[in-house]
Amino acid sequence: MSNSIFPNIWRFLGLVATQGLLLHQVGLTVNEYFNIILYPLFILLLPIQLSTTAAVLLGFLAGLAVDMFYATPGVHASAGAFSGYARFIILKGFEPKGDYTGKEPIPAPVYFGWPWFLKVSGAFFAAHLFWYFSVSEFSIIYFTTISVKTIASWLLTMPFVILYCIMFVPKN
Amino acid sequence: MGQLLRLILRNGGFLTLLLVEAFAFYIIVQWNTKQNAIFTHSLGLFTGRVLDKRQQMSDYTSLKEQNRKLHDENTKLHEQLSLINSIEISKKDTSFITIRIDTIRLGDSVAVSKIVRPQYRYIAARVIGNSIDGANNWIFLNRGSDDGLRPNMGVLTGDGIVGIVRHVDRHFSAAMSVLHREAKISVSLKKQKALGSLIWDGGDPTIAFLKFVPKHFDVKEDDEIVTSGFSDVFPKGIPVGKVLGDPRPDKENQYFWDIKVRLSQDMSSVSDVYVVDNIFSVELDSLKQKVQR
Repeated sequence: MSNSIFPNIWRFLGLVATQGLLLHQVGLTVNEYFNIILYPLFILLLPIQLSTTAAVLLGFLAGLAVDMFYATPGVHASAGAFSGYARFIILKGFEPKGDYTGKEPIPAPVYFGWPWFLKVSGAFFAAHLFWYFSVSEFSIIYFTTISVKTIASWLLTMPFVILYCIMFVPKN
Repeated sequence: MGQLLRLILRNGGFLTLLLVEAFAFYIIVQWNTKQNAIFTHSLGLFTGRVLDKRQQMSDYTSLKEQNRKLHDENTKLHEQLSLINSIEISKKDTSFITIRIDTIRLGDSVAVSKIVRPQYRYIAARVIGNSIDGANNWIFLNRGSDDGLRPNMGVLTGDGIVGIVRHVDRHFSAAMSVLHREAKISVSLKKQKALGSLIWDGGDPTIAFLKFVPKHFDVKEDDEIVTSGFSDVFPKGIPVGKVLGDPRPDKENQYFWDIKVRLSQDMSSVSDVYVVDNIFSVELDSLKQKVQR
């Protein structure tokens, strides 16, 4: 049991701290369109067998922790909870032939291959970023800004997702 | 029962998402300035539109009554217009003559030394929300800054005064009702010319109180009360109400009367109103500030 809990705890702490202390500061230094949002990787890499309810609640908690660094109470929390549910839909949509066998603990490239992981993480981060910027701008009249920010942020974030998986996600 | 339980379990994630998002939405609106401002503005627009629609339906069902009121008001306006047409202008030798405006022609030998300028402009508005059951009541109008409304403009009908505009948005505005405990309107007894302040105590919505009328004035039941014209908000002589019963000495100040007033405007059925724009209000304010310095 502890084998699956501790990696997730470390991932939670590491990604939230990196997001709040490093990536947030980088965004502030450059401009409002430069957003690298890496912490949702914690939500994506939760155990596959975890219930959707738990994923929604953990996503909410992770977002709330990030909100403390961004001073935007509820904004990341809302996006985190949404991603917890979106993850369930996306994993269902990209289900491998013969379903998930239970031998794959997390949706990582080592178990499903890089092409599958890039498709899943690409869709997951697109959904997360669109929701996050929608809540952040909070009005449909900013749809263009929301879309531009989502695309820019997705292009900036995805290389870091790949880098993180190469460096920290177990190889076997 | 088993099916219901299975349904809840099957959709548990979605229900959790709805609950958590509702909570997050609450936090966002409560604690984020930008989102709070957008939410408040959107809510105001939405409420305004809903109240507007409701009022449109209500208007449709009461067209006959409104027609009658508009007809009465037209008659009063015609009477007032005929009075305005007979104005006094002065000749060179300062002796006054009365002539009708429509008889003045170019080249007349009469030197017009006193020019009559309209001081007030009227903006027609419709009431889209009104309360009378609170201690501090507000009236919402379907006109805003785009229509020329500004705070501190008077609101009235053909029957009498209604309130004073306080908050103005682009398309809607909120007026402090006469039935608001902080409303204090400068009025006078029409016959005696005695000045006083009209206030409301938060009780009966048809009754207000006239304060600060000195006791040496002989006040009787049914004496008419009109606006004094001293406040820049309302023109002089707009009906306010009539004295109800005999005046009593004011408990707080023995030198003044405490007069019950039956309001001439039934505040529970305000529908079409006029917002009064005092064209010289800015000039008057500036002059008052100079005097206060």
